[in-house]
Amino acid sequence: MARIGVFVCHCGSNIAGTVNIAQVMAAAQTMPLVTFVADNKYSCSEIGQTAIREAILKQKLERVVIAACSPQMHEATFRKTVAQAGLNPYLLEIANIREHCSWVHSNDKAAATKKAIELVKMAVAKVARHEALFTKEIGLTKKALVIGGGISGIQAALDMANAGYPVILVEREPTIGGRMAQLDKTFPTLDCSSCILTPKMVEVAQHPNITLLTYAEVKSVRGFVGNFEVEILQRARKVDASKCTSCGICWQKCPEKIPAEFNLGLGPRAAIYTPFPQAVPNIPSIDLAHCRYIKYQEFVARGEEGKKPPQCRICERLCPPQAIDWEQSDQVLVEKVGAIVVATGYQTFDHTRYGEFGAGRYPDVITGIQLERLLSASGPTEGEVVRPSDGTHPKTVVFVSCVGSRDERMGRAYCSNVCCMYMAKQAILLKEHDPEVQSYIFYIDIRAGGKGYEEFIRRAQEEARAIYLRGRISHIYQDGKKLIVRGEDSLLGRPVEIAADLVVLATGIEPSAGAKELAQSLNISYDAHGFMVEAHPKLRPVESRTEGIFLAGTAIAPNDIPGCVAQGSAAAVKALAVLSRPSLVSDPMVAIVDPLRCTGCFACQRACAFNAIDSQVTRDGKTIAVVNESLCKGCGLCVSACRGVAMNLKGFSQQQLLAEVNALWR
Amino acid sequence: MNQAIRDKAKELLASGAVSCVIGYDVGSDGINARPFFAYTEEEADGLAFDQTCTHNLVKYLIDRAGKATAIVVKPCDARALTVLINEKQVKREEVFIIGAVCHGIIESTWGQKGSDLQGRCQTCTQHTPLVYDLLVGEPMAEPTPKAPLDHRAATLANMSVAERAAFWAEQFQRCLRCNACRQVCPGCYCAECFVDQLDPEWVGIRIDLPEKWLWNTIRAFHLAGRCVGCDECQRVCPVNIPLGLLNHKLEEEVATLFDFRPGVKADVPAPLETFKKDEKLGIGE
Ligand SMILES: Cc1cc2nc3c(=O)[nH]c(=O)nc-3n(C[C@H](O)[C@H](O)[C@H](O)COP(=O)(O)OP(=O)(O)OC[C@H]3O[C@@H](n4cnc5c(N)ncnc54)[C@H](O)[C@@H]3O)c2cc1C
Ligand code: SF4
Ligand code: SF4
Ligand code: SF4
Repeated sequence: MARIGVFVCHCGSNIAGTVNIAQVMAAAQTMPLVTFVADNKYSCSEIGQTAIREAILKQKLERVVIAACSPQMHEATFRKTVAQAGLNPYLLEIANIREHCSWVHSNDKAAATKKAIELVKMAVAKVARHEALFTKEIGLTKKALVIGGGISGIQAALDMANAGYPVILVEREPTIGGRMAQLDKTFPTLDCSSCILTPKMVEVAQHPNITLLTYAEVKSVRGFVGNFEVEILQRARKVDASKCTSCGICWQKCPEKIPAEFNLGLGPRAAIYTPFPQAVPNIPSIDLAHCRYIKYQEFVARGEEGKKPPQCRICERLCPPQAIDWEQSDQVLVEKVGAIVVATGYQTFDHTRYGEFGAGRYPDVITGIQLERLLSASGPTEGEVVRPSDGTHPKTVVFVSCVGSRDERMGRAYCSNVCCMYMAKQAILLKEHDPEVQSYIFYIDIRAGGKGYEEFIRRAQEEARAIYLRGRISHIYQDGKKLIVRGEDSLLGRPVEIAADLVVLATGIEPSAGAKELAQSLNISYDAHGFMVEAHPKLRPVESRTEGIFLAGTAIAPNDIPGCVAQGSAAAVKALAVLSRPSLVSDPMVAIVDPLRCTGCFACQRACAFNAIDSQVTRDGKTIAVVNESLCKGCGLCVSACRGVAMNLKGFSQQQLLAEVNALWR
Repeated sequence: MNQAIRDKAKELLASGAVSCVIGYDVGSDGINARPFFAYTEEEADGLAFDQTCTHNLVKYLIDRAGKATAIVVKPCDARALTVLINEKQVKREEVFIIGAVCHGIIESTWGQKGSDLQGRCQTCTQHTPLVYDLLVGEPMAEPTPKAPLDHRAATLANMSVAERAAFWAEQFQRCLRCNACRQVCPGCYCAECFVDQLDPEWVGIRIDLPEKWLWNTIRAFHLAGRCVGCDECQRVCPVNIPLGLLNHKLEEEVATLFDFRPGVKADVPAPLETFKKDEKLGIGE
């Protein structure tokens, strides 16, 4: 017969203020198998833990119930405590009399006390049926995967590679760099974006520890911390990277021109292209949707009547090293990694949803990121800021903030964090480009919390003479060559109307396309918008709730470059903390099959979301289920699916749960 | 029809393709069918099929695992067989299925030929089994118009919760806990049924209403999404508890919630053993 000790925690006044501790202790004394009861002001404190350890030794306790806060909070702490006193750490049960009791029933002390007693009673009944459980050591792959090659992912990959661990960086575009590669200069220091980004991109490409896979996507992820198995789809570029010398003849001579995504349609690109001159890797890809030869092949394959389109193949004919490879096909690579960093970044809000801003009809209503391309010396206009409609130089520029941010109508309650700052930056840069430019910035509030940010706003106002108008824009319409911007100056409480040459919409930040689907395949949580959810918003900001999967950058929430870089490094450190361990410890609270009860129906296998159930053949020839302990997450779905009760969950066995229920009504 | 079954049975036994044919012969009252196992060609001459073949024979296949067997099935039996195949209790490749076109089974009593169709057959729309290797009998046009709900089911549906509880209390009160329903049910093949388990003890061993109630309802839940409505449990119940009513109700619930009928398709797992992220059940909303 086990000797059970019960420790009731006051948690200062958190519990003791509502629950009558003395009554709980008195009741515990009478519970079956309980041989010792004590209270603690703070059980988790060093004094509290020592008291528990001493009691275990002195009272020869064999099982322990700690009635305190949620097991989420301190179960791990108390497992260590009892282990230090020589008990198996799993011979412990926590009765949550804080979150489940005192905090939610603070207005009814008598009822709260009664409930606390019942919770303790259940815990005592359960712990009496606990069994000693033992962890196992499992090996791990000391290699990391980074998904997304923007600045966040680049930083994470470099930090891990520099620490000596191999890294696979998967980027779905043909180049790494992400959105930062599109920016001209960066707030608040105005250093040129590519000048600080390009060296990092090159370092990635040249790093002996980094395998760079661009034009590639993660298809599926299986496994668990330390032992993930990832399927990566490497899309065909139709260019042999081992032969291509990046001479550029192909993309100069390719006759098929389409609007360049990288320049947001402000200039053309060829069907064979690199997104921008400093692309890494600098190997072109053939855009299959637009290449003439591919269209020709498709036409022939359809066997249609009529005139055949031209075969083209100019790139193939002109390529000096003959690098064009029409046979190249998509490939699926399978890689094993121990930790994953998700840095899939952002895209900007689709402003055409705003009818009042012209819904995309007016060519001279552009977005912030388009203005970045116009400002950039390597952009489509080589840094000359001109109106898309007629190529003239705009003199009056109106900025509209919070387009797709802080707007419940668009389902976007959140602030995009960077727009106030980049509008100020762009006003300064416009003035530098052309002193005659007058910028008007319509804002709701100015958010400039970062280091040196408030000073930067002042600079826009004082040096660049940007006029800040507080208020929302109600309407934009074209009047001849001008765009009439109507709004309200809410400080003066009167309507304003500005005849502008160019309107810049500060479109907000939203998660990249496909972020939700990726999160689903990784089994990590995401919020209503598709941003990845942190394990704890304050204390674990770069960890997902799935062990071994870490987060960085704008995939979590809108952020600026300094924030993204810091998160990239932070995620790298967290991942390194996994990779640098000699081995990992398995959680023993997993499912287990009773071979005598199992009929081999495999309901459990169909129910398991983690592919943790295999089959095995017993000596008498029966095929039955067996749990792969390293894949099992201990979720218990299989237990509920098994009618024959052959499946059980260690630490939450059916016997233990039923004992709890029975204790309640006995 | 009988000749077709016998011919096939003989052929299969002669060639050694199967070592046993499970079917029906005429029972000792000279009228009603009973289960029949033919191991030799001579025995195969006893095989017969008519509207008294009420038994669902597929459960016998579980014990014949590893031995090739032929079996005569009605449409409802065929669905039960598909459930067993999906649940890996029977291997499709070990079974030769002789599907019988079914005109419905008649209520019968010992020594008497009945005339009325059984309740389940009045609402059944299927005449041809969904799966078979050989079809015997003349295929009929399907489906025939579905009869309205079994009159007892309709009465139950119109009762208040309290009235329904009283109805079932009265029914379950008669339960002897003989487990005949379980023994005959093709879906009940657990190695150790929950009701027999002592650790944990799910149902007390006392023979009283709460235990009887628990036993019958948990068994019904274990069959939700799996029961094909063959009503064998109801047929064998010595105290005439209308267990079919309980099972049909759950079958309809599963059909509306999950758009699923058990045993219709091979390799489609039952809804209560699959967990889908996008499932919205309207429960707790
Ligand atoms: C107009 C504008 C101006 C700005 N100016 C400044 C500034 O001056 N200073 C500043 O600090 N910040 C500025 N920012 C913010 C800055 O752009 C971001 O902080 C930063 O670029 C975010 O980097 P990231 O790596 O998190 O995301 P991204 O740059 O978006 O990188 C994510 C990468 O992941 C890839 N990816 C996405 N999904 C997948 C997938 N499923 N598989 C593989 N790869 C995937 C994408 O292709 C992309 O390359 C500005 C933002 C805007 C909109
Ligand atoms: S085949 Fe023609 S269209 Fe296609 S990439 Fe080469 S040059 Fe361009
Ligand atoms: S559900 Fe239960 S009986 Fe069926 S295979 Fe799994 S453990 Fe065995
Ligand atoms: S508890 Fe069962 S269902 Fe859950 S992960 Fe483990 S084996 Fe799979």
